[in-house]
Amino acid sequence: MTQLNAADLSTRELNSRLRDLVARDDAEIHVENPGARHNLAVAMLKSGKIRFRGSVGYYCGGLADGISIEIDGSAGWGLAESMLGGTFRVHGNAGNGAAAAIRGGTVVIEGDAAARLGVSMKGGTVIVAGDCGYMAGFMGQKGVLVVCGNAGDAFADSLYATECYVGGEIKSLGTDAVASEVTDEEAAALESLLAANLAPELRALKPQARRFRKVVAGRKLWNFDKREWKIWREAL
Amino acid sequence: MAHLQQSAIFTPGVVESIQHKAQTGLYEMRGFGTLRQRRWATFDDLTFLPCSLTRIPLEGYREKCSTKTLLGTRYAKKPIELDIPVMITGMSWGALSYNAKVALAKGAAAAGSSNTTGDGGMLQAERENSRTLIYEVLPSRYGINIHHMRMADAIELTIGQGAKPGTGGLLLGSKVSNRIAEQRDLPIGVDQRSPARHPDMLGPDDMIIKVEELREATDWQVPIFIKIGASRVFDDVKLAAKAGADVIVVDGMEGGTGASPSIFQEHTGIPTLGAVCEARLALEDCGLYGEVQLIIAGGIRDGVDAAKAIALGADAVYIGTAALIGLNCNKPLYLEDYEALGTAPYACHHCHTGRCPVGITTQDPELMQRLDIDAGAERIQNLLHAMTLEIQMLARSCGKSDVHHLEPEDMAALTMEASAICGIPLAGTRKVFGR
Ligand SMILES: Cc1cc2nc3c(=O)[nH]c(=O)nc-3n(C[C@H](O)[C@H](O)[C@H](O)COP(=O)(O)O)c2cc1C
Ligand code: SF4
Repeated sequence: MTQLNAADLSTRELNSRLRDLVARDDAEIHVENPGARHNLAVAMLKSGKIRFRGSVGYYCGGLADGISIEIDGSAGWGLAESMLGGTFRVHGNAGNGAAAAIRGGTVVIEGDAAARLGVSMKGGTVIVAGDCGYMAGFMGQKGVLVVCGNAGDAFADSLYATECYVGGEIKSLGTDAVASEVTDEEAAALESLLAANLAPELRALKPQARRFRKVVAGRKLWNFDKREWKIWREAL
Repeated sequence: MAHLQQSAIFTPGVVESIQHKAQTGLYEMRGFGTLRQRRWATFDDLTFLPCSLTRIPLEGYREKCSTKTLLGTRYAKKPIELDIPVMITGMSWGALSYNAKVALAKGAAAAGSSNTTGDGGMLQAERENSRTLIYEVLPSRYGINIHHMRMADAIELTIGQGAKPGTGGLLLGSKVSNRIAEQRDLPIGVDQRSPARHPDMLGPDDMIIKVEELREATDWQVPIFIKIGASRVFDDVKLAAKAGADVIVVDGMEGGTGASPSIFQEHTGIPTLGAVCEARLALEDCGLYGEVQLIIAGGIRDGVDAAKAIALGADAVYIGTAALIGLNCNKPLYLEDYEALGTAPYACHHCHTGRCPVGITTQDPELMQRLDIDAGAERIQNLLHAMTLEIQMLARSCGKSDVHHLEPEDMAALTMEASAICGIPLAGTRKVFGR
């Protein structure tokens, strides 16, 4: 295990050191004093483990492929944005646009997520143990988005094909989002997904997470139809 | 009053448009770019003032007139060096066929110029055939791939386009083929509307951080461009410069598109002539003119437009529609297929349908075959060479040994509007109007 002190390094120096260490297959790197700084561990393209011993700023781990990142504090906007593969675990909360446009990999947020969680997701898995803010899942294309707690306004608006699950209340569904009960098969798959990614005590925090509902696209926005002009007026 | 007198307000085009909306319940969508007939100030409102007694011209075709173009000198470790100041703009694989994308890459490379990816990501064959490839990062992030980004020679963070500032992209279901759907992670055949905003940033302050992220992702090696659709150009250019752009791309109202609502093409944004002037003023105002390079796009047809844009302050121009025309867009071939689309050569703007008669803006394998990659690449190379010769010819006649030495003083305005916009005296007067 290698230890780096972010307080002594510029973002450029820190990221270069991280990239070098990851390239050398250094199994685990701990970064002390990240100080909520932006753009930490951007574009890490190998497997390896980086642990931030505090909070990070915008775009932490953005454009990742293969890395595993753990954040002891909270994360700013755009956590893991556009990731191709890798795993992220945030022990605190995540800011706006967490997991935006990811195409693969897994993002686990043990606290709450702010607005636009998983916006434009193109693959991968996002799990939030707590609640999420408005417009989560907006224009989600593929992948799986699971919110164990409550979801904010306009959940899953203008969805393509991301599968969304919410354990708590949904404040309002977005345009063309349709909620349904989960099948036994889906419930079992969710159960094992959560068991693999969240510690039992975290799952126990949200007991309502036993009553997940699934949200998918109503597909009325997939192709224009003049009979659906009301919904299109909202969407366009 | 003549029996067949038509209304000047409800023209045949307006009548057709109203009836189209009444029929379909949808606004009109199309490709190409503005079709407005009413004129506004353009590069045609300027004329060059070649040397006579006050200055000495260079010998045409003999004396050296450099066209080398350097972009990204502000922060990038590896600025781009192009042989010519005419570049191929970003047009998506999706809007364009595979053959068109590869032909553009090959043609640009042969002419010593660059080409740009587009909404939908990079094609491997595009990289392989490019000399200098610019990788676009768009709000939709379709096909975003860090490995492709790191293969690029520059990154272009796109905020908007001239044909439709403030809105996202459109690709109608007929073009979302299996391959395009796979590349964009979308269901096959959906009418794809892409977002107008980036998913992980909102205003200019976020953009400062975003630019740093892109630099970190590419180790500060390659230039970062920021592309804006021309609306509040003066302020937007300053904000883009403040965000740390090496190069700013300003795309005027005449800018082309694969598919956009026609009202956006006709009624939003400001024309390219005004856009280049505002952009230059903005960079001068913040002391970054010359340090941050400027690329101008939107309706650039030939070396004359390019030379005028350069004289007004651009370092290079992007061409989109002109390049497609070089690939045979609107050429009188396959007439029955133009007719089937309800159009004709020289009047086609039907890129959105996916049924391009000449194989450029289509995903249909049969139509695509009509565009031979090598023949297309050769035409692009020829076009870029010919445009460059035109720029050089004008520059030499103005006594310049480098096309980038062209300046506003080398021109006169032919209309009061152009004089007021460009700050150039009206021909026949010594007066700049509006000053
Ligand atoms: C067929 C087509 C597809 C386009 N696709 C994109 C795109 O994917 N991303 C983008 O930023 N601009 C796109 N544009 C706009 C061009 O990059 C450029 O701004 C514009 O074409 C310049 O104007 P011009 O066509 O008059 O040269 C497209 C334009 C055309 C004609
Ligand atoms: S010929 Fe093809 S590229 Fe040209 S306007 Fe028509 S459809 Fe578009």
